[in-house]
Amino acid sequence: MLAGFLTLLGCQLVGEFVQRALNLPLPGPVIGMLLLFCGLCIRGSVPKDLESGSQKLIELLPLLLMAPAAGVFFLGAGFADQWPAFIAAVSLGTVCTLVFCGLLIRFLQRRNSDL
Amino acid sequence: MSDLLHGPLFAITLTLLAYQGAMFLYLGSGRTAILHPTISGASLIALALIVLDQDYHAYYRNIDWLTFLLGPATVALAVPLYRQLHLLRNMAGPLLITVTVGAIFASASALILAWLFGANQSTLLSLTTKSITTPIAIAVTQDIGGITTIAVASVILTGVVGITTITWLFNKLDIQDDRLWGFCLGLAAHAIGTSRAFERSPVAGAFSSLALCLTGAFTAVFVPFVSHWLF
Repeated sequence: MLAGFLTLLGCQLVGEFVQRALNLPLPGPVIGMLLLFCGLCIRGSVPKDLESGSQKLIELLPLLLMAPAAGVFFLGAGFADQWPAFIAAVSLGTVCTLVFCGLLIRFLQRRNSDL
Repeated sequence: MSDLLHGPLFAITLTLLAYQGAMFLYLGSGRTAILHPTISGASLIALALIVLDQDYHAYYRNIDWLTFLLGPATVALAVPLYRQLHLLRNMAGPLLITVTVGAIFASASALILAWLFGANQSTLLSLTTKSITTPIAIAVTQDIGGITTIAVASVILTGVVGITTITWLFNKLDIQDDRLWGFCLGLAAHAIGTSRAFERSPVAGAFSSLALCLTGAFTAVFVPFVSHWLF
């Protein structure tokens, strides 16, 4: 598991390095993810250590997110006037996205199977 | 005595305790969306801080190394993405088009609605990443200058709205194919949607994780470029 962890950190480090070297607007961890993905495609399989290490980390995501999420309760008066816009945009936007994607993918899928 | 409350030991103990409590509530309630551990855990932390009269920012400084792990967690998403790759065969065209257009739609619809309702620029910036999984959303938001907390809140609210409405919506639209059902939920509602999709069927779950990874990767590439140009 620790070896897998090392792979993940190594990919992130290279990702951060590439981001700074090329001045890319992409976050370092995302570049690291793309690098690891390419590496796995070339290798053709997932090493056991990497499998267990990444699974552990993904399982613990809620734990990693709780502390930043708790900040919602402490945004203060500065954000008070933003709440209605925030809630409306997120809720309506999500429902619209679901309907839009549902209709789009069904249309494309039907056209695909007709060909 | 009170110096204990200001140290990392208290912060990490409180966070782990809140996590255990949140998992207990979530699993005990039969995985009710509104009690998702991120929501219930965050509420428990906030409640404890208010009751003990502690400053949130002081608490967060003691625990921010935990947030550091979101970096390797983002890299780790390459593993499920690689595992789901075979699903793309036969359906690559429809899936890739839907991800590209759908991810743009998810960001744009939230931005336009928020703008219509009078949100300010930092709120707008923090909303662009609402449909992507939180670790990537945080990385992107910090990059483009949004507020992390609002980005996390919008991601979580998106997930909750997604899983509470999809069954009704897709019954109305008469979309029952598990592949399409899961893919749309993963696209619109990321990890929270994906855990719901696995409850429907393994196929729905697999398509949902595929959509989660593709949407995350695409939005992470797309949003920074557009926000540089827009703001």
